Amino acid sequence: MRWIWIDRILEFEPGKRALTVKNISLAEEHLHDHWDGCPIMPASLMIEGMAQTGGILVGQVCNFEHDVVLAKISKAEFDGVAGPGDQLTYEATLENLADEAASIRGMVRKNGQEFGRIDIIFSHANNSLSGVELPEGFVFTGAFQRMVDPFLEKKDG
Amino acid sequence: MAMSEQDVLEKVKETLVEALGVDDDEVAPEATLTGDLGAESIDFLDIVFRLEKAFDIKIPRGELFPDNILNNPEFVQNGKLTDAGLQQLKERMPHADFSDFEQDPDINKMAELFKVQTIVNYVITKVNG
Amino acid sequence: MKFVLIDKIEMIEPEKRIVTTKNLSMAEEYLADHFPSFPVLPGVLMLEAMTQSAAWLVRLKQNYAHSIVVLKAARNVRYSYFLKPGNTLRCEVDAVSIDETSAKFKGVGYVGDRLAVSARLELMCQNAARNGSPSPGPDQRIVEQLQRTFALIGGPAALRAANG
Repeated sequence: MRWIWIDRILEFEPGKRALTVKNISLAEEHLHDHWDGCPIMPASLMIEGMAQTGGILVGQVCNFEHDVVLAKISKAEFDGVAGPGDQLTYEATLENLADEAASIRGMVRKNGQEFGRIDIIFSHANNSLSGVELPEGFVFTGAFQRMVDPFLEKKDG
Repeated sequence: MAMSEQDVLEKVKETLVEALGVDDDEVAPEATLTGDLGAESIDFLDIVFRLEKAFDIKIPRGELFPDNILNNPEFVQNGKLTDAGLQQLKERMPHADFSDFEQDPDINKMAELFKVQTIVNYVITKVNG
Repeated sequence: MKFVLIDKIEMIEPEKRIVTTKNLSMAEEYLADHFPSFPVLPGVLMLEAMTQSAAWLVRLKQNYAHSIVVLKAARNVRYSYFLKPGNTLRCEVDAVSIDETSAKFKGVGYVGDRLAVSARLELMCQNAARNGSPSPGPDQRIVEQLQRTFALIGGPAALRAANG
């Protein structure tokens, strides 16, 4: 199982807002454990989709030079379940940006309809909030950067 | 736009419910943020973020929840605030009620200064000028 | 990856509290992405471990009346430490209320004696048949799968210890 819970960036406004899409497919292994005969997208993985969307939005503000880690999920609420054949979108809006942390407000939609609300606070890992020692530059590998580049080039180009 | 204390309290309560995941009826004015409501350092940041948005105010770092007092040896000795430390804290937190804390300024009891009412008092001064 | 985030049930107090452990191993493939140079359990999987732990309290109280028990809402999930491969996450979940179709919990997760995560959870319960399946087949299959898992992770022994 890869740990990539978004498929594509649909819209990207640097420093403001990001919209991503996640298709749910029966080809995904974990759905057969959750559950056999009744596949349901786990809420924790929908939260991760929003976290990855928000993480890219926050990380891009500093050109992905600083690590961004999940510090707090203030709330995550879902209005039901989603499964294979459904398409989710994650819309993250940057609410606050400080030296040590940033917060996003997130809206999840299932097939275009409001489906969940997720608020997340990220900490900039170099200023880790709980005194944990972390290595430099471990979060943003090429994959997420490549997803964002087309949107940044358009802006400059 | 001036706000009444009741209006500010209601909005502060909503903010704390959102930030801390507690129930509305747990957020009494005398409830302490860390003791009664279980807040930790990341929550204090969340609370500041949300208050700024809810009330359209700017909260400079350390103005609502002062830092840099406990790590100053001039202000803390033998686990208690010195007179200088207590004075400094009072100046930094005119929105807090020190009547209990100053009887025994034990640094472990400092968290008790941060009550829901403390936030309400602070917001009122920011909003009503 | 198998989506089972509990390796052992250490202790159960029916309807009240459950303590579970999850070992993290480099063999878990998703770690290659999270993160290549710093493999650690994703925070949302700590949340999933607490959710699955809480779900056992619901299933036992309801005697598997609902096959589907999922997270409906999470509040104030705070992360303060990392779980690295070779270490273990211990989840301690306390029930606040367990009703017919919903349940609320408070949980914490420790790595050694370091608090790694704390959260408030709200779970919802339903049956597969509610999703439009024509027969009770899926519910029965899911319950059988769950009962096998319960046995695998030391559930019966924990229950005996609670009742004994």
